[in-house]
Amino acid sequence: MVLEALEREGVEYIFGYPGGANLPIYQHLHEHPKLKHILVRHEQGAAHMADGYARASGKPGVVFATSGPGALNLVTGLCTAYMDSVPMIAITGQVNSTQVGRDAFQESDVIGATSSVTKHSYLVTKIDQLPRVIHEAFHIATTGRPGPVLIDICKDVQQADAERVTPEFLEIPGYKLNGHVDLGHAHQAARALAAAERPVILAGHGVLLSHAEHELRQFAEAAAAPVGTTLLGIGAFPVKHPLSLHMTGFMGTGWCLKAVQNADVLMMVGMRVDDRVTAKLSEFAPNAKTFIHIDIDGSEMGKNVRPHIELVADARLALEAMLPHVGALNADRGKWLAQIDAWREEHPLRYKHSNGQLQPQDVLIDMYRRARSEAIVVADVGQNQIWAALWWNYDRPGLFINSGGSGTMGFALPAAIGAKFGRPDLPVWCVAGEGGFVMTAQELSVAVEHKLDVKIVLLNNFSLGMVRQFQDDFYGGVRSQVDLTHMPDFVKLCEAYGLPALRVEKFEDIAPSFDAAERTKGPFLIDFRIDPEANVYPIVPLGKGLNEFREAPEYA
Amino acid sequence: MLEIKPQQAAPAATPKGTDRIRVLSVIVEDGPNTLTKVSGVIRRRGFHVRGFSVGPSRQPGRSRITLEIDHGHAEADQVRKQLERLVEVLEVEDLTGDPMHSRELVVATVAASDLDALLKKGARILSTASDGTTVEFSGDGDEVSDFVHELARHGIVDVVRSGPVVMRRTE
Repeated sequence: MVLEALEREGVEYIFGYPGGANLPIYQHLHEHPKLKHILVRHEQGAAHMADGYARASGKPGVVFATSGPGALNLVTGLCTAYMDSVPMIAITGQVNSTQVGRDAFQESDVIGATSSVTKHSYLVTKIDQLPRVIHEAFHIATTGRPGPVLIDICKDVQQADAERVTPEFLEIPGYKLNGHVDLGHAHQAARALAAAERPVILAGHGVLLSHAEHELRQFAEAAAAPVGTTLLGIGAFPVKHPLSLHMTGFMGTGWCLKAVQNADVLMMVGMRVDDRVTAKLSEFAPNAKTFIHIDIDGSEMGKNVRPHIELVADARLALEAMLPHVGALNADRGKWLAQIDAWREEHPLRYKHSNGQLQPQDVLIDMYRRARSEAIVVADVGQNQIWAALWWNYDRPGLFINSGGSGTMGFALPAAIGAKFGRPDLPVWCVAGEGGFVMTAQELSVAVEHKLDVKIVLLNNFSLGMVRQFQDDFYGGVRSQVDLTHMPDFVKLCEAYGLPALRVEKFEDIAPSFDAAERTKGPFLIDFRIDPEANVYPIVPLGKGLNEFREAPEYA
Repeated sequence: MLEIKPQQAAPAATPKGTDRIRVLSVIVEDGPNTLTKVSGVIRRRGFHVRGFSVGPSRQPGRSRITLEIDHGHAEADQVRKQLERLVEVLEVEDLTGDPMHSRELVVATVAASDLDALLKKGARILSTASDGTTVEFSGDGDEVSDFVHELARHGIVDVVRSGPVVMRRTE
């Protein structure tokens, strides 16, 4: 019944792990050849694979896990998807309905444990609930602001016989979708931006989720307003566009932060305006007289910044409604854009590679030179994530995948595997530090088993680099528990897993190693031994306003 | 004798603190997860429950929850918005500051036999036993608090108080 329902929803891949409480589902899996099941090595890996699959393909990712520890191992992955609004369906086995609450073997309160990290969840105790629940779950996961939905199915329900029912009519009275655009507000917002002396647009993940990148570009060009993106919004606006401010936030580009802090009208589209974007909230965009906020989730309005004009709507529909009302632009617009160009000259992205050590930027620049915009980059969390965000010129959506809201270390490898299943036509590069990589490295087996063309770029600095940088800069220079000298020999580790790998310590070896990776079919890992003191810049000190961003000491 | 702290005025409540109370009337789907979800949102978003009651609504399968919530450091409107995000929640009405009927119930057993003062306030006798007389009283939060103070003078054996139920007052 479960598998039939998944077929009906058009599911292609399931990332899962069997166990006592979902055995009845697995018993019939072979009868459904349309459903391709990927056996993971740890349930967290399944959740991240489904996440990467969903972000790359735009289709919901599906996960199976058994009860108790199996389901609880999904929690980090569910939270990662929840924070970043990724559509996902997690189907967990639960003990028999008559045993629920009796502390049966491998029983855990999965609904209780996952409520705060799912968009919605169901406990299914009767077979007749199942068709409706699965159909509803897909609807809820993929519409409005997407998110993970968990279905906990009792084992006796999984093996119950039932008539085949196709649920067609969908009525979920408590599920409200905001699609309608307030035209008055749209008009007002468009005019406010056009009439502004110093407008700035910030674009988030919502722009990608609603496929509004074209509308955003049209609107920005019509209003001659510069556009910065959040970390998750990367790809919403081409980095090389003359109006691009690249990335905003406390590790954003200097020219973007200057623009935000000096803007008189700030429009925020499809984003949560979280603390990584605002830095010190009371000093965020202090010169903005008008905040405009567009988001499909009404609860985002005023959660962090109270907007003067709000549009609770799909980003694409909102921008579409705004475009005809742009009208005449403020006469000083040229001056503002020239000012931004001057800031771009003054605070470019830059690094030095004169100390004889391999710099992470050297690696990423070579990668970009090869891949251009025809590859998906899946980054882990930490310095590697910010370097991968800033040192590629992403010019379209869906090419940069990372765990932005949750900041889940260990995300990259399984998510890259999922992304490759979702977009087999595109090269997939996994960029990770050695710390995060070993958290989920067991999933290398999945890449090897399925001969997946996932190229892993390990930026290995023998330490928890971002934590080390924070300790150096903001915690009195006391390096505490960040040393990762004792790590496996990654080339040998890969040999044990059955994939080729190379170690690179010198600048001259970067290009040949990438040549080798590109020549090789299937997974490949390059262990880049980078400068252990390399840091992420610019960076805003913790607790400070965006205008206090620091550049690398050699440029300060 | 029990010391009863009036529900409406916690010791730390500054005038600013009482400004942070929102009164919400919420229609929810009856279901095994509903209460967990509602309380989960309240806890996770840093809100604090000051009053709570739940009972059947006019529609079968749906209940009405009355909530008095301190929204803490969040914007006042966040309580309503966060509750509205739940699929189990059908309707949220924010009655804060509106003219409304807000009623609470108190049931108490008192040792004293002279109950004139209580009856004068509108109490009703439910039963009489050897250890005291049990009375009930309903009123708005202040009236119930006053009544509980009055009870204290009559030697409280036991007292229970409900959360509020509210209805918008039509003029």
